[in-house]
Amino acid sequence: MRGEGVGVGVSTPIKVDIWSDVQCPWCYIGKRKFEAGAAQFGGEIEVEYHSFELAPDTPVDFDGTPADFLSTRKGISLDQVAMMFERVTSIAASVGLDYDYDHVHQTNTIKAHELLHFAKSKGRQLEMKERLLEAYFIKGEHVGRIDDLADIAASIGFDRAEVVAVLEAGTHLQDVKADVAKAGEYGIQGVPFFVFDGKYGVSGAQEADAFANVLTQVQTERDAN
Amino acid sequence: MDAATTPLLIIGSPDAASCDGDVCEIPERHTQAVVNRALDSDLV
Repeated sequence: MRGEGVGVGVSTPIKVDIWSDVQCPWCYIGKRKFEAGAAQFGGEIEVEYHSFELAPDTPVDFDGTPADFLSTRKGISLDQVAMMFERVTSIAASVGLDYDYDHVHQTNTIKAHELLHFAKSKGRQLEMKERLLEAYFIKGEHVGRIDDLADIAASIGFDRAEVVAVLEAGTHLQDVKADVAKAGEYGIQGVPFFVFDGKYGVSGAQEADAFANVLTQVQTERDAN
Repeated sequence: MDAATTPLLIIGSPDAASCDGDVCEIPERHTQAVVNRALDSDLV
């Protein structure tokens, strides 16, 4: 699998566009399942992540826990939220992800999405996507504040000062908005959402076999044409 | 819809878990599948 970049070799890689949010538990689980499906498929694919904000009205410094947030938004008890988190944590563990909801910082993800676009401009979007999901769900890092995002970026070798400057200037804000608008054109309402070669849409954290089957189907159609 | 945006053919299981708005639902069938796998693996 390759990220953004120019295809090499005889055939053109299958393009997979993925709409996702940094604080979407199914997006991280779906990422692992997609990666497993892509490995099963074995062919060349090119992945590009796109921005989707699940809760754009969330303040950067949300005063409360994810449990408080969900309880208030859904109007359910904290006990019910705890059960939901327990179940999703269990499913995450089944794909090797150690979610730590006790230390998650609920926040606004617009700047994280801008950072993903900045990373894409450097040819390192996939690396940044993985690092941000890990930061939010596993390491308890804040993915809403510019300073924290700059630290996260620096931890994988980005120039911290450059990241701060780009995020403070909102250099990639329009790129985020363009992704959200494109999602609207496709009718995407939930994430993760996968688009294969601009033709097939797959919603949710499907099983690895399902992703492998879709990739095989796309490749078969290509070979027949 | 943008003139350049081709309508997608939606495929895959409709029961796959996703986040819609700020709510991330866990389909009951998915939860049961995880429980079943745990039972199969003698983890429960």
